[in-house]
Amino acid sequence: MTHPPFSTPFTRVELLRRSGLVVLTVGAAPTLLAACGGGDEAAAPEASGTIDYLSWEGYDIPDPMTDWKTANAVDVQSTYIGNHDEIQAKIKAGGGSYDLITYYQGYKPLYSELGILTTIDTDKIPNIENLFPVFKEADSRNLWIDEDGNWTGVPWTWGSIGITWDDAELPGGLDSWYDLLDPKFKGKVGVINDPLGAFTLTAHILGKDPSALPKAEYAEIEDFLTKMVGQAKSVAPSFGDMTTQLIAGDIVACYQGWAYQNSLAAGAGNDNVKTKTPTEGAFSFCDLYAVPSTSDNVDTVHAWINEALVPERNAAIAEYLVAAVTVEESAALINADTKALYPYDDLELGDSTGDRLAKLFELAPFYGMPPSESDEYITFSEMSEKWEEIKQSA
Amino acid sequence: MTSVTESRPPSERDRLRIGPVALALPAAAWMLAFFAAPLVVFLVYSFLTAKLYDVSGPLTLEAYRDAVTTEVNRTLAVNSLVVGVCVAAATVAIGLPIAYWLRFAAGRWQVLVLFLITATFFASYLVRIYAWRSILGENGLLNSGLERLGILDEPLGFLLYNRFSVSVALVHIFLPYVVLVLYAGFRPISPALVEAAQDLGANAFARWRRVVLPLIAAPAATSFVLVFVLAAADYVTPQFLGGTDGALLGVRIQAALTGSGNWPLGAALSFLMLAAFLSCYALTVILLRALRLHRIRFVS
Repeated sequence: MTHPPFSTPFTRVELLRRSGLVVLTVGAAPTLLAACGGGDEAAAPEASGTIDYLSWEGYDIPDPMTDWKTANAVDVQSTYIGNHDEIQAKIKAGGGSYDLITYYQGYKPLYSELGILTTIDTDKIPNIENLFPVFKEADSRNLWIDEDGNWTGVPWTWGSIGITWDDAELPGGLDSWYDLLDPKFKGKVGVINDPLGAFTLTAHILGKDPSALPKAEYAEIEDFLTKMVGQAKSVAPSFGDMTTQLIAGDIVACYQGWAYQNSLAAGAGNDNVKTKTPTEGAFSFCDLYAVPSTSDNVDTVHAWINEALVPERNAAIAEYLVAAVTVEESAALINADTKALYPYDDLELGDSTGDRLAKLFELAPFYGMPPSESDEYITFSEMSEKWEEIKQSA
Repeated sequence: MTSVTESRPPSERDRLRIGPVALALPAAAWMLAFFAAPLVVFLVYSFLTAKLYDVSGPLTLEAYRDAVTTEVNRTLAVNSLVVGVCVAAATVAIGLPIAYWLRFAAGRWQVLVLFLITATFFASYLVRIYAWRSILGENGLLNSGLERLGILDEPLGFLLYNRFSVSVALVHIFLPYVVLVLYAGFRPISPALVEAAQDLGANAFARWRRVVLPLIAAPAATSFVLVFVLAAADYVTPQFLGGTDGALLGVRIQAALTGSGNWPLGAALSFLMLAAFLSCYALTVILLRALRLHRIRFVS
C-alpha cells in the first residue's frame, strides 16, 4: 500500500524531521522529494481560503484538523444540521455556496438525482489508497463508486446499527429484533425519528431490499413498524435524546440503536449502556465527504479529504467522534475504547481486520434508499409520508 | 427675468408628519424583504405541484386537498387546537392573579418578583424542556418524591410523553410573557377605582367582575391569542415531550419541508394554520366588540 507522504506542508515538516532533512526548507521539500522518486505519485492540491461546510456538528472535526487548517491558513465556516434531510433541503432551496458536505451512502441515488454531487478527482486524494479494501471495491454495496469507476464521495467513517440497551435493567441484552415486540417491553422501547433508518432496518429484518421494495410489500414493513412504534412512548428526535431516555430509565432498549450511544452514556456516567448486532443483522452506514455542486473551493476540499485519510488523522477523527476508522492503518492507532465499538479484533469474523469488516458488512450491509419516482417500488416520499402516519397510528 | 423660489423650512406639523414614517421605514423595508416577499413565494409554492425538494407547474389545489383530507394532518390539527386553547387558557388564568398581585399588592416585592419572572428568559428553551422531563419522568422528581412519601407504589406513567406534558411545559415557557403583558395592562388602572368600588359596597368578586375584568379584558384577550398562536404552532416541545400522542401540526410542517421534501404540502399546511390564527384573532376582536370591551380607556 502506498502512502503518498507529503499531502500538506504540515506533514512535510513531520516527515522531513523524521528523515533528518531538517536543513531543508518546507518550500524546497516537494521539489527535492519529487527528484527522489516521489514525483510520479499524485499529490493533494494546495489548500487555501475558506471551506463552507454543511453537515453534522462535529463532522467538521475541528480538533483533529486544527494543525492542518493552521498550516494551510484554511478557515472552515460551518453550518450545522439537525437531521440529514436538511442537507438536500438547504442546497435545493439555494442561497448557500457550500463547499463540503457529508452524506450517508443511502442518500447517494437521491443526491445524484438532485444534482447535488460532483465527481471526486481521486488523483487529488492520493491517501484514498489508505482505505480498507472493502471501501474501495466498485461493487453494488459501495454506492459512492459509480459503475464507470467515478467516486462521488469518500468514506471517512462508518458505523453499524444494533440493539442498544441498559445492561443494568436488561442483563445480557436482546438477541433478536423481535424480542423488542414482547408485551413486557410495552412503553420501554426507544425509537428514533429517522424515517429512512427505520424503513431500511425493518426491510433488512424482513429480508427485503429497501432500495427496491415493491409497493405491495410495504404493508409488511408498515405492520412491523406500527407494532414497534407501539412499543414506544415517544419517538426521540435524536440519538442523544434517545440515550437520555435510556439513562433516565424511561426506556430499556432501543430499536435502531448505535454504538455511539455507549459513549454518550459513559460520558454521562452510565457505563451500563451496550450495543450489539442481533441475529437478524442490521444495516451499516458509511459517512462520505463530498463536494457539492455549489462548491467554489474544490481543490481545498480535496486537500481536506486527503488529510482526513492520513492514518494518524483518521484515527484521531475516530477517537474524536467515537466512531469507526476507514483507513486500514488507523485501526492499530485508535485507543481501546474506540476500538471496542466495532469488531476490528473479532477473530470469528475473519483472519485480518479487513476480512472482519467485510464479514460485518455482509451481516449489516450498506443499503441504498428508495427511488424518488417509481410506479413499481415504494418511493422516498411515500416512505416519509407513511412514517408520519405510523407515528400517529401506533 | 429670474424667478427665485424660496423654500420654507419645514413646520412643526410637517416634521411630525414625516418623522414617524421615516422611523418606520427601516423596519418596514426589513419586513417587506425578509417576511412579506418570502411569504408570497411560499404562497405560490402552495399552489404548485410537488417534486422531491422542488416544485413545478401548473397551478393546482392538490397540496391543499392533501392537507385537508389526510387523516394524520387532521389529527395533528386537532392536537394543536386542543393544546393551544388549553395552554392559552391556563397561562391567562394563572397570569391574571399574579399580575394583579404585582400591580396592587406586591409592594416592595414587586421589583424582585418582576426580576425573577424575567430571569426565566435567561434559561434556554431546551433546558426548560429537559427540566420538565426530569420532573415528570417515571424516575423523575415528582414520581420518586411521591413514592418516597408512600403516596405511590408504582410511578405514574401518564405524566410524560403526551399532550399533558407538552401543555405543562408550554404553560411554564409562556407564562412570563403573559404576566408581563397583563402587568402592563394593569399598570394604568388606578387603585382608586377598586377602592371606590369597595366604598360603594362591592365585594371582592364584584370588584373583579365589574371593575377589574372589563378593564383588563383587552390585554387578557391579546395574551390569549398570542399564547394560542405560539403554543399551537410549536414544533420543538412536542418532539421532546409529546411522545406518540402529543405531536402538533408544526412537527408535520417541518417533516413535509425537510424530511419528505414536499414543499407545496408544507406551504399549504402553513397557510391553513395562518388562516386559522387570523380567524382566531378576528373572532377575539368581534367578541370584544360585542361585549363593548374594546374601547375602554383607563383613567389613572
